[in-house]
Amino acid sequence: MRKKNARTIRACAVCVLALVLAVSSLAQTFDAIKSQVKVHVLKNGMKFIALERHEAPVVSFHMYADVGSANESYGITGISHLLEHMAFKGTKIIGTIDYEAEAKVLEELDALYDRIKTEQARVSPDEETLVRMKDKFESLRLKAKEYVVNGEFDDMFMREGDQSLNAFTSADATQYVNSLPSNKLEFWMAMTADRFQNPVFREFFKERDVVIEERRLALETRPIGRLVEDFLSVAFKAHPYKHSVVGHMSDLESITRRDVEDYFRKFYGPSNLTVAIVGDVSAPEVFEMAELYFGDIPSEPRPEALRTREPEQWGERRVQVMAQSQPILIMGYHRPDVRHPDSFALDALANILGQGRSSRLHESLVKNKKVCIQCGVFNGFPGDKYPNLVAFIAVPSQGHTSEECLELIDEEIAKIRAESVTAEELTKYQRSSIKVLLSQMKSNGSMARLLTYADVVLGGWQRLFDQVEEIQAVSIEDIKRVANTHLVKKHRTIGEIIPEGK
Amino acid sequence: MRKKGYSRHKSGLNIRRSLGMIGAFVLLLAVGAPKALAQKSPKDTFDFPPLNPIQMPTIERLELANGLKVFLVEDHDFPTVDMRAIVRIGSVYDPPQKIGLAGITGTVLRTGGTDSRTGDEIDRELESLAATIETYIGQNSGGFMASMLKEDVDRVLSILTDVLVNPAFREDKIELAKIQQRSGISRRNDEVSGIARREFWKLIYGPTSPYARHGEYATIDAITREDIIRFYERGFYPNNTLMTVWGDFVTDEMVEKLKNSLGTWPEGTPDIPAQPRVDYEYKYTVNLVDKPDVNQSNISLGHIGGLMDNPDYPALSVMNNILSWERMFKKIRTDEGLAYSVWGTYGASFSYPGVFSCAAQTKSESTVYAIELMLEEVRLITQEEVSDDELARAKDRYLNTYVFNFDSKPKIVNRLMTYAYNDYPLDFMETIKTGVEKVTKADVLRVADKYLRPDKVQILVVGNKEDFDKPLSSIGEVNIIDITIPQAKSKLQ
Repeated sequence: MRKKNARTIRACAVCVLALVLAVSSLAQTFDAIKSQVKVHVLKNGMKFIALERHEAPVVSFHMYADVGSANESYGITGISHLLEHMAFKGTKIIGTIDYEAEAKVLEELDALYDRIKTEQARVSPDEETLVRMKDKFESLRLKAKEYVVNGEFDDMFMREGDQSLNAFTSADATQYVNSLPSNKLEFWMAMTADRFQNPVFREFFKERDVVIEERRLALETRPIGRLVEDFLSVAFKAHPYKHSVVGHMSDLESITRRDVEDYFRKFYGPSNLTVAIVGDVSAPEVFEMAELYFGDIPSEPRPEALRTREPEQWGERRVQVMAQSQPILIMGYHRPDVRHPDSFALDALANILGQGRSSRLHESLVKNKKVCIQCGVFNGFPGDKYPNLVAFIAVPSQGHTSEECLELIDEEIAKIRAESVTAEELTKYQRSSIKVLLSQMKSNGSMARLLTYADVVLGGWQRLFDQVEEIQAVSIEDIKRVANTHLVKKHRTIGEIIPEGK
Repeated sequence: MRKKGYSRHKSGLNIRRSLGMIGAFVLLLAVGAPKALAQKSPKDTFDFPPLNPIQMPTIERLELANGLKVFLVEDHDFPTVDMRAIVRIGSVYDPPQKIGLAGITGTVLRTGGTDSRTGDEIDRELESLAATIETYIGQNSGGFMASMLKEDVDRVLSILTDVLVNPAFREDKIELAKIQQRSGISRRNDEVSGIARREFWKLIYGPTSPYARHGEYATIDAITREDIIRFYERGFYPNNTLMTVWGDFVTDEMVEKLKNSLGTWPEGTPDIPAQPRVDYEYKYTVNLVDKPDVNQSNISLGHIGGLMDNPDYPALSVMNNILSWERMFKKIRTDEGLAYSVWGTYGASFSYPGVFSCAAQTKSESTVYAIELMLEEVRLITQEEVSDDELARAKDRYLNTYVFNFDSKPKIVNRLMTYAYNDYPLDFMETIKTGVEKVTKADVLRVADKYLRPDKVQILVVGNKEDFDKPLSSIGEVNIIDITIPQAKSKLQ
């Protein structure tokens, strides 16, 4: 359908000119920011990245722990996220009125929990013993609770004006964020150093219940949540991207406090942590304080790299979720990790197919054939540190089916495999992704996130800025090539929600 | 956007002044202290150095000859320009038999193209520039947004002006917007959270209230192109619009560009009556949407809320902070492990009463227990003074995060526009801050007792009643809400 001849070539010349114009002012902006980034690595391997921005007297902090649900094994799925929750429970001096006494009760509680689990695991558990132990467990839990100062860790940050106190766990990473008035830099240092050197995982069992409710909320009561969980479990057969970040229910119901402590020791060594601080602070002062507060933490070996790799897929896979819902389609093709040379061409492919109202899928499926109300294509599903998926999602219009959407998506993919994209489309991708990158750099918090991500996952914070050239280096031929290399039916998985009557 | 010539320069009519208003703004400064040489414990006393002053941007306000009011602020950190506008219009003005009209009008204004270019052509042109223009009509306002690289300002402004002045409302895009609306209706029971929000709002405002009602197949099918054009003509005039512009430009040059583009948007006579009233009768009700396919209950409870210009609003803000965080979160989530997300807030809006709502999502087996705990927390805060610590923490949280209201120029300028749209004083936020500083424990108790009615709440549960810990009828007579979607009469699909 897409003619490529004189008209396109003329359009192309115009576009290239426009791009060059745009990029000259953009390039200056990126260079200006890049030249302000400062880095300091402590002897123990913990890395600090600082970017001074003095427009407003505020500062954002982003701590990137290089551990996510992809580091989990059977039995402890969901533990990265549970640990993230526990990292708000305080320390030996925060959240308690008497740590020494509290610690004894917590140990008793753990030991009793193990005994209950052992009893439950017997072929014929003694019900009377179980009831007795559970009563005792509840009274011990309440006893431990007497030492707790509810919410003290959060309260301390929030009282000082933390506007973004939060944390996020993904398949690849666990990330902790704060934003404070910028005169409180040292307070953040003191809090964070204590938080990750002396954490106490108190109120564990109730917090586990909270996470279980989070699983029900985000995943079990939502048809799309159920679909995504089942879809990933089929798309990956070996790699831990196959399990959801929140984890399996039975694992959540069984993980112990000691499991969390072991996991913490393994993955929260200083060399596994990267911090970016962006705002109205002085970089030398940031580094001086980082030495003072984090320099004494003993080095730990970096955790062993993940052993399991996803093997080649032997044929198209399908998964269905029956639900009281209208249909939804997800499809994913295996692709390499984000550092692979094909990565930018795959981004271009996803952008041209699925980003914006003039993208190919939107024009075909939404505007012309009207079979779906929304469709999109995205890379990095469910993470991008390891080989992952380029994923397609389509939400069929009323009265239309996932199958109709799939056929049209396949048509559009086939066209790109045969003819690639136009120069106009390539330029559109280049401009829009550079503009998106730019807009993500506007806020301190988002800039701090980008810096840590680039440093840990892309292999160096500078790569955040180098992307601009790589985006511009993508060619029409690259896009055709990666479409043919990676969008292979044999290497895809299709998932759909099948509407079920009430 | 219509007809009618407009005279370019009536500089006498252009009101243009700098907003020095926030100059008076003073932040809490601590006493300076020598630099720390030794590591501190987080519980040590920190002598925080003085906070650097907030640099208030110069905001230019002007009114073009056609009545378009503009706030401009230069922001040279990035080579981009952004615009946002609020138009006085809204779905509250949808005729009852054509609910959905406002939403479709807001969509098709942009997608339907202009007299000289189709919407698809506009899509392609804008996306080739990495620019966006969006139009919308929401419940109490409509508007547009545009974002662009600075070198594309002329082109984007000319498209934006064309969209506002010469919209074509082409039939194919009207049909597309209707498909989107109908599909939305068909999907509205797919997610529990969507059901809960919709049905709770209907309980509070009433099912036919402009603040809670929603479209059906029949009301969407009834909408014609003439309806859409007429609806657009009710409100889309420059003299019915406020607009902000921020980014990498020189103000004088941008003003000229605006005069030459949006300045040609003909003024008109808006047909926008006062916002509909809300009449609320306090009552205790228990309501259920039965969802046998879920294992968690979505609980909402509350009653009508208030307005932000209420002199008690600062005290209510402090009370909300304590009720949500110190009480609901610490009790229901931290102590009891019953829910991931939980809150209780007396909601206040600019121009019509908000909703007092408490919400939590908990496993089916703890549904009634969670409701009882939530109500107990509401009761408690209306009966006893909060503690000194709770009050001090709540005020600190508010006052120490206050600086973040000024951490970006777009945030500052868009807040001013919102206040102006709602006829609030432009220093409204400072007034609230001053008020919060003065709030006492007695104030918190007084407003909680005055505005919260724990005995007259409406309770909604969306969940699987078979698995509840106790029958819902144990807390009152249960009204079952049927969420079956009424089918269209004749439409083939």
